[in-house]
Amino acid sequence: MSAESSKNRLGLAQSIEKRAAALPDSVALHFEGEAIAYNELNRRANQVANGLQGLGVEKGDRVAIMLPNIPEFIYVLVGTLKLGAVAVPFNTLYKGGEILHILKDSGARCLVTLTNFFPVINEIRSELPDLEQVILTGERNLVFAHPESTAFIQLVLQGDHIKDIDGAYQKMGHILLKIIEDLGVKEAWYKHRGSIRVRGEKIATFVISEVEGMALINTVVFLGPLDTRDFLRVVWVPPEIRDKVVEPLTSVEQETGKRPLWDQVKETVAGAIEERFQVEIRDGSMVRDELFSYEKLRSLAYKAR
Amino acid sequence: MKWKIFSRKKRKEQWRLIFKPDGDVADVMALPGAVAEGQIAGRYLLASSVTSGTVIVQGVSRKGILAGADVAVDHDAASAHDVDVAYQPRSGRASLRPAETINLEEMMLEASNEFTSAPPDPEDLACILYTSGTTGRPKGVMLTVDNFLSEQQATAQALDIGPKDKIVGVLPFFHVFGLSNILYLALVRGASIILVPQYSPGNLLRTIVETRPTLMMAIPTMFIHLLTLLERKKVPLPDSIRLCVSGAAPLPKEVIEAFEVASGARLLEGYGLTETVAACCLNPPDGVSKAGSIGTPLAGFEMKVVDANGKELPREDAGEIAVRGKGVTAGYYNLEQDTKEAFHDGWFLTGDMGYQDEDGYFFITDRKKEIIIKAGLNISPGEVEEVLLRHPLVKEAAVLGRKKGEREEIVAFVTTRGDLSAKELISHCKGALSNFKVPDVISFMETLPMTITGKVLKKELINDYQDERRIEQK
Repeated sequence: MSAESSKNRLGLAQSIEKRAAALPDSVALHFEGEAIAYNELNRRANQVANGLQGLGVEKGDRVAIMLPNIPEFIYVLVGTLKLGAVAVPFNTLYKGGEILHILKDSGARCLVTLTNFFPVINEIRSELPDLEQVILTGERNLVFAHPESTAFIQLVLQGDHIKDIDGAYQKMGHILLKIIEDLGVKEAWYKHRGSIRVRGEKIATFVISEVEGMALINTVVFLGPLDTRDFLRVVWVPPEIRDKVVEPLTSVEQETGKRPLWDQVKETVAGAIEERFQVEIRDGSMVRDELFSYEKLRSLAYKAR
Repeated sequence: MKWKIFSRKKRKEQWRLIFKPDGDVADVMALPGAVAEGQIAGRYLLASSVTSGTVIVQGVSRKGILAGADVAVDHDAASAHDVDVAYQPRSGRASLRPAETINLEEMMLEASNEFTSAPPDPEDLACILYTSGTTGRPKGVMLTVDNFLSEQQATAQALDIGPKDKIVGVLPFFHVFGLSNILYLALVRGASIILVPQYSPGNLLRTIVETRPTLMMAIPTMFIHLLTLLERKKVPLPDSIRLCVSGAAPLPKEVIEAFEVASGARLLEGYGLTETVAACCLNPPDGVSKAGSIGTPLAGFEMKVVDANGKELPREDAGEIAVRGKGVTAGYYNLEQDTKEAFHDGWFLTGDMGYQDEDGYFFITDRKKEIIIKAGLNISPGEVEEVLLRHPLVKEAAVLGRKKGEREEIVAFVTTRGDLSAKELISHCKGALSNFKVPDVISFMETLPMTITGKVLKKELINDYQDERRIEQK
């Protein structure tokens, strides 16, 4: 091909730029009842390109994308191409080993994914030295709570309790492992930033989040078997891929033959935290400001759609 | 040592424990959220009430789902099965952020709206796409700027795509079919995409009725689901649809015909691979569609059928299908040997077995790797599957070879519509197949494992399959 004709052959990003300039208001995307025009798409892609460039992404670098068909997928793809970087989109149903293989093999420097997928990524992050940035979008977090199965242990700590995130994952992982062991489970193990597992199956998991100088540690422990059919009835997943969506799980009851009582859970949790954090834990309740905000958050949770 | 009396160890810090074993699903978020909010406010207002650590232990007294605002939850199913639904409201400025991550929206807000991109070199890599791989580990297929351009020219020309088109974007963009034949194709041609982030038959039908698309690209299971739903709901498809394309797996002739009646538009079957940036072969929109055929090569692609030595075979002879053209990948990322083995004289060997008929139409019969060799004879799993599917009680069938000592035995995995014995099914096969092709083992399954595009994951049916989703300690 001659240099002349290759110039006329525009890449995806350049085609969009051209259309955004010529017919800015023509519709590019229809999403949830709204129309997104070509100039808006181009502007958002420019923001992504500038943002990624600010993070040090250069021509030829790989940017992995693990997103469903939402506008952000397109903004990130086009932004990546504008930089001359290489997009590596992959299946949002992939889990542990599959994602690790792709991110390692491609040597991706950045990954853009849904907040909901973060725990999966966190678990393999220490094995991915090339992966410098994890960029999250959406509030698509999903928790399935079941009276027979799930216990939630949450820690709200002032920032000075956590010196570094790496250390915090280490410490909390071992506290959680101790809790699981103290509940009678044998052969459980914790891998850095991962879940607590028995064999390859998940028995407990946690994520550390930050908000205004505070740390929130959210933990789920499976006390009894989780009936995932209830989950699948509410969030539709094609039957052929159901076993891909729900990770292999186990529970304290499945491992020990007995579901622990709530008081035992409470004592075990308090004991493990007292020992590892060298603090004293007392029964308490929420104060006025907290109660006010609790009522607000609860009513919002049942109102929002 | 006396002095120790005076330097008595500092009193242990006190943390508070909030215990609520019988809360509900909204509490899972509301309790820690309230403590955090209270503490943030407390820092300025009520310094005395700030505790340095709070531990919350809670359970729920009813089943519940706590979803982000962008998760589609079936509320009817939820109330039918006593599942409470709560939502995490869209958070404000001080939103919770997992440690050591960047928030995309924040990154975009801080960035400039202007960016001047340099025109890419045609040889530059645009994407690396990992093949879903029904066998083996996913390989990274390198796709250049030029690969995509050639593909877009070929498909845009065949399907006559223009700015007036509205294309249903239900196929995932992380898969080559959705990425190339929907996302790239639409945006390069100034058309628009209707985004469907979460597929369910109901969701897809509702979107189609509401948004009136002109084109629909989908996979066989989606067309089948839609037909079932249309029949049940007795609603018509909008008359806006002018063309449908199906790919990734074969679509039964009856489904094509029924869908064409329902939509009033042609439904064309095509064929493509990640290595060819999606479609390279299609039944012509203005010509004859042949049942069971993947059609003829698109502009810019050449296809032929070759023997084991790469020699072109005459029409009607079965062999491996090979493709050449600007849309064909340069190879696999970091896998020189695999790349070398995948090409012969510049032709990409697809690994699909098939033939070309007298009119130049291509037909696929099997995956090369899945051919079973028993007592020196080649057996086509596709042929056996076809016979199995002819039994009225067989819903799905997957046939593969399994090592048994030195020999290979034929195993058929089937799902059924009713009671059916292995003996009955084997005698059905004996009536239609030579003896050596009749399955040695019939295995009845609840479902067959499938890829997102509806291909049976045969590797998962083999005994020693390692579940890649599991995370092992070592």
